[in-house]
Amino acid sequence: MTTDPPVLEIKKLSKSFPSVRALHEVDLTAYPGEIHALLGENGAGKSTLLKTLFGVQRPDSGEVWFEGERREFAQPSDALAAGLAMVHQELSLVPQFTAVQNIVLGREKSRAGFVDRGEARLRAARSLARLGFDARIDVPVHKLSVAQQQLVEIARALAVGARLIILDEPTASLTTQESERLFELLRRLRAEGRAIIYVSHRLAEVMELSDRVTVLRDGELVGTRTRGQIADESELVKLMVGRDVAAVGVRGDPGDPGAAGEEVLRVEGLSSTEGVSDCSLSVRRGEIVGLAGMVGAGRTELVRTLIGADRATGGTVWIRGERIHIGSPAEAVRAGIAFLPEDRKHQGLVLHMSAASNATLIRPPRRHGMLDRREQREQTRALLKRLNANISPDYPVGKLSGGTQQKVVLARWLKTSSDIFIFDEPTRGIDVGAKGEIHALMRELADEGKAIVMVSSDLLEVLGMSDRVLVMRRGRIVAELDRSAMSEEAIVHHAAAT
Amino acid sequence: MSNHATLDRESLNGPGLAAAGPRVDVAAVARQAGLVGVIVVLVLGFGLARPLFLDGGNLINVLLQSSVVGVLALGQTFVLITGGIDLSIGSTVAMAAVVSGLLSHAVPAPVAILGGIAVGALAGLANGLLITMTKITPFIITLGTMSIYAGLALIIAGGQAVYDIPAAFQDLLAGRVLGIPIPVLLFVLLTVVAAVCLRRTVFGEHLTAVGGNAEVARLAGINVKRFTASAYVLSGATAGLAGTILVARLGAADPTLGADLLLTAIAATVMGGTKLAGGEGSMSGAAFGAIIIATLTAGLTTLNVQAFYQQVAVGAAIIIALLVDQLARGRR
Repeated sequence: MTTDPPVLEIKKLSKSFPSVRALHEVDLTAYPGEIHALLGENGAGKSTLLKTLFGVQRPDSGEVWFEGERREFAQPSDALAAGLAMVHQELSLVPQFTAVQNIVLGREKSRAGFVDRGEARLRAARSLARLGFDARIDVPVHKLSVAQQQLVEIARALAVGARLIILDEPTASLTTQESERLFELLRRLRAEGRAIIYVSHRLAEVMELSDRVTVLRDGELVGTRTRGQIADESELVKLMVGRDVAAVGVRGDPGDPGAAGEEVLRVEGLSSTEGVSDCSLSVRRGEIVGLAGMVGAGRTELVRTLIGADRATGGTVWIRGERIHIGSPAEAVRAGIAFLPEDRKHQGLVLHMSAASNATLIRPPRRHGMLDRREQREQTRALLKRLNANISPDYPVGKLSGGTQQKVVLARWLKTSSDIFIFDEPTRGIDVGAKGEIHALMRELADEGKAIVMVSSDLLEVLGMSDRVLVMRRGRIVAELDRSAMSEEAIVHHAAAT
Repeated sequence: MSNHATLDRESLNGPGLAAAGPRVDVAAVARQAGLVGVIVVLVLGFGLARPLFLDGGNLINVLLQSSVVGVLALGQTFVLITGGIDLSIGSTVAMAAVVSGLLSHAVPAPVAILGGIAVGALAGLANGLLITMTKITPFIITLGTMSIYAGLALIIAGGQAVYDIPAAFQDLLAGRVLGIPIPVLLFVLLTVVAAVCLRRTVFGEHLTAVGGNAEVARLAGINVKRFTASAYVLSGATAGLAGTILVARLGAADPTLGADLLLTAIAATVMGGTKLAGGEGSMSGAAFGAIIIATLTAGLTTLNVQAFYQQVAVGAAIIIALLVDQLARGRR
């Protein structure tokens, strides 16, 4: 592998923003036929590095060498033309276009001034077929699953003949199975001699997949290691965080299941138009119930139906023994149900409003009929302090890290003194250090006697946090596993069984 | 060298920020100061060219010219903050003008004025209900009602202007108090009320949240439809008031009034820093925007610039204002 000259050499790349030095003399080398993992906590400089490499931002100093030539990509299209492609975390396809249209976008061939659809279709179909794409190629891509859309992006990269493909957290919203298929594909691309740079927060994946690992911390290069030099995941965590951290989410300290109190939430036969079908569950005080399953199994849909965000077509809900009807999120709030959605940026926070406005969105403090800004600030300060988030209440939440954003959402619900907390993917996109904090806060809430439902695709999180696990498949709850029956194998078995 | 190289995470998200204070307000204050600066520069510039422009009476007249557009811009700001748009305000002005004009012949002036405002509010309510009960975008709905209300204004007026507006009506809305025209006083008063409503009430806070992200607001238990609809009611009511002011000032109610008011009002609103995408807006900004446009128009008139060129200048000013705003944002 290392006998070939490198495809990419980044030398002493630096980039500063007015208030932050994002990168300081970072080196990175990628060889043909290697999968190179790029690791670091949020804010470590990974995305700045990739953006700078890809021509989205200009470096302040440093050199980029691509295939033996010194290059300065002024814009992404230059990088693409040179043979460097990037699959973004937030997929950058035109949603209304078909797979084919997306793949040839910007490189459409024309015949007599008209787009030559036959030729385009053929080329695109060829590259998609190679990737094992099994959906229709002539429907708008927004109708495809995330995994399929990702394949379209990869096909686009291959269609331009990319020799270096960068994937930014490609498995963040894939199921275990889909991830496995992606890994297979990446291994095949590696065998073809392409270089792959792979950004991920999932350390197990990194251990499984990569040949070499480069770790950034606070904008600086911590080091590059070959796979053989790394003993286990905790060593990676240590490199990333720069200190010893208990492997996060793994076999936490679950409460004593016998200590769980009376039933707070009971759901029977809940169904919805969004595919939830006949789901029943019960959650007791002090208990964390994990909701596991593949992406698309209907977990988010189930909790959204429960809180009245999606319309229920049947089912009964009891809260503290009282039968109630929840027809809208407003009624769920009144019933004491807190919901922390998976997509904080689009469903959890109003990004350009302040932390205080976001934290007090439900029933803001009033004085003489007016909004009491001072009290709003004070309440927020107290809540954030309790959550160990040391930020100004006036700060716009859009600029906060994922972990701090989640704390602001949590602050909103702490203020309502809800009894039931529903977390949907509580630590998605949150870096290792903050992940542990969120987990500790969830455990604290349970210990205070809250009933907690946690949707998670991170099996380690499910196993580490839950007192009980419900497994969903195709809109139904197909298994209930208590602590003695909980294992990765059992969950995957029930989630995938056909 | 290596010791200064560390950028710890704390400095990104940590206590450092607590000391940085309220950043949101600093940016907003800077923009308002910029708008006031533009007004001062315009007034002084035109004053240098034509000293008569600086005459107190003339300046008050400029404010009077800005007041109708300004009132409309305040209402439009509520709507734009929700992420919508109200294209029907020009026609609503005409409808309210005609109704209040006709009423003024039959009922006491205050009742006729309230009638005009009520017609505007009703027109806004219809917009709000149509928008929240269907899935049709505000642009399309209000494009439709723009035509409907314009037609209704003509139908109600029988196709011609309503004349002979009683003096009591005119005195009430177009008179002066302590030498200051009542429309100007109303404009200033409404700007303050609207600004307080937006920044210092739960209504304003929730309206901003709805416009910033309707799904977040809904999940937090906020009645998104009610807030959205109420923004259109406010916009309609201000259009109603604007219509009655025009009737009082002109002494007649012309059913074809208002067509050019719509674009000027939207221009004033966006100049003041309100985003068409919703979630961000400023009442004082909208007011300053209206004053800037009126100053520019009046100033160019005193310089004997033809109306055609004035249109070009006002349009260019709008684009330049947003360009400068964008550059200032980019720097931060």
